[in-house]
Parts: sequence; structure tokens; C-alpha cells
Amino acid sequence: MNFAVYRRAVGLFYQRLLPLTSLGSGLILGSAVLFGNWPLPLNASVVLMKLSTFPLIWYVGQRTWPDQHWFYRNLHLAQWQLWAPLVVFDTVGFAMLVGLIHQLAA
Amino acid sequence: MPACATSVPAPGAPHVLEADGIQLKLGNRVLLSDVYLRVQTGQVVGLLGRNGCGKSTLLQTVFGARPVADASVRVNGRRVVPAYRQLGLLNYLPQVPLLPSQLTVAAAARLLEVDAAAALRNFPELLAQKNQRAGELSGGTARLVEVLLLLHANTQFTLLDEPFTGVMPVHLETLAEVMSHLKTRKGLLLTDHRYEEVLALCDVVYLLHDGRLELLANPREGLRNRGYISG
Repeated sequence: MNFAVYRRAVGLFYQRLLPLTSLGSGLILGSAVLFGNWPLPLNASVVLMKLSTFPLIWYVGQRTWPDQHWFYRNLHLAQWQLWAPLVVFDTVGFAMLVGLIHQLAA
Repeated sequence: MPACATSVPAPGAPHVLEADGIQLKLGNRVLLSDVYLRVQTGQVVGLLGRNGCGKSTLLQTVFGARPVADASVRVNGRRVVPAYRQLGLLNYLPQVPLLPSQLTVAAAARLLEVDAAAALRNFPELLAQKNQRAGELSGGTARLVEVLLLLHANTQFTLLDEPFTGVMPVHLETLAEVMSHLKTRKGLLLTDHRYEEVLALCDVVYLLHDGRLELLANPREGLRNRGYISG
């Protein structure tokens, strides 16, 4: 498989799970507002909090779309090859958003 | 991911996919035991058996999606576990819908590195729908598209779990012709409850019964004697 196909496969996988990852990010930001920790500082605990949402997203994804991995296996991709870039991109995107909000609010 | 690292057979000799050592229990029930399965390029191999006897489980184990201790899947004598990670080795049609619903047929074909026009050329009405999303196709049409895309993908083997389900009778004959034509360059392993279609198409037939896989020397007679077909 060439890299362009891999990139498109990861994009497709991310697109399906984006509502769930966005919900995870929204919950973290919402809880910061709720508990008076706004604007949320960008630090290790915030990143860890974001990372801790992925097991739940994985579980909900498996329950909601239990058969989605057959297509990716036919592209010769293992689950970790889809999840690893998703976790990295989503966490980096969230960190950038938190940093931007912090700068705008400062 | 590893490229297809199977040993290369002698020029003109077929590629051979073998699976054995597959044993699986569900609770106290033995689902698979003492299984030996062989498929080679140039063959259509049928896997028959009653509902729930473990046909899908066996296909998934060969594909590599279901880890089974001691299972050995080999191509040309070389172990390939999990087989689906080997580029160009095999693909698998599950019983459930394969294509993500938001993906168009053309986009799915591009991801699978298949020429959609070539894959669908025997079915002009499908060609007209290649820009539709998979989720917008009828169940039978989606099934037919999935089968054709996997058959035309550049793999040595294709495993098909109930490829004829929902496919219109008028298309079955053409689909069987496509399979017969494509077996010249790949090995096909399929299971389906349409026994007549399977028997007409297959060069080799296995029967999965009580967890054991039996190679039927005379498939039609063997199935009749065991009460799987009548007449």
C-alpha cells in the first residue's frame, strides 16, 4: 500500500470517529468552565486528560460500528495503524485549540 | 506493513494457501478441530456446512482477524499469520456490509487500488452508480459491488463469506462467470447457502461438520447422502 492510500484510510477512519473525539474535547473544555478553571492552561495534566478519553472512544466506536475494521483489514491495516495517527492528530489538535484559547483569553 | 513475503513457487506452479492446527471451543462446544484446508490459485474452493457450524470463524481465522493459538496459515509453505497484513496476499468479504457507508463506490475502489470501471464492466447498471455512497445502495447491489471489488483487487487469494446473499438471480450467473474467469489468476475460497450455485462453480468442496472439515470426493453425492441437498 502506498502512503497516499494509507493517508486516505486514516482520514476516513478519523472522519467517522470525529464526533466522538470532539465530544471528548468538548467535555474537557466544558468541565474547565464549570469548575472555574477557564481559560484552561496547556499543561501535561490537560494532555493526559485528553488521552484518557480515547479508551472510552475506542469502546463506544467498537459498540457503535463493530464491523468497521473489516474494510481496513482489506487494506492490510491493523487497528493500531489507524488508532496511532488518530490519537496523535486529535491530541495535537486539541492542544493547539487549548493554547489558542488561552492566548486569546490572556 | 510487510509486503507479501511468501516463497515463490516454481514458474507456472500455483500459489498454495494452507491452514491447519485450527482448534476452537465456544464454552464446552468444539467449534473447529483438526481442520486442514488447502486452496491454490486457479481453483474455486467451496466451504459448506450448516448455520453456526463455524464456516465464518474458519474464514476469519485464515484471514488472520481472529487469533487462534496453534493456528498455522501458510502460503507456499511459509507461515503468514496474520495473513491480512501481507500486501497482495488475500482479502476477505465478511457476512456484514464491508464498505463504509459514507464512501462512494469509486472512492472505495481507489482505496482498494481497483479499477472500478473494469471491475463493474459486466454490470452496466452498477457502473452508473459508482459515484453513489455505499450506504445509499440497496443491500443486494452493495453486496455485488463488494464482491466485484474484492475479486478484482490484486491479491493471490479471495475469501468470500456468503457472496451471493441478496444478489439478484439475474446477476448470479454473470457473477459466477466473473469468478470462473478470475480464478485463472487467483484462488477463491467461498461459503454460501446457495448450494447449487456453489457446486456448479467449485473445483473442490469441503464440508464442515461437527467441527471437522471433510474434503468431498464427490460433492453432490456426499451432500445428498448427508442430507444437505435432496434429489
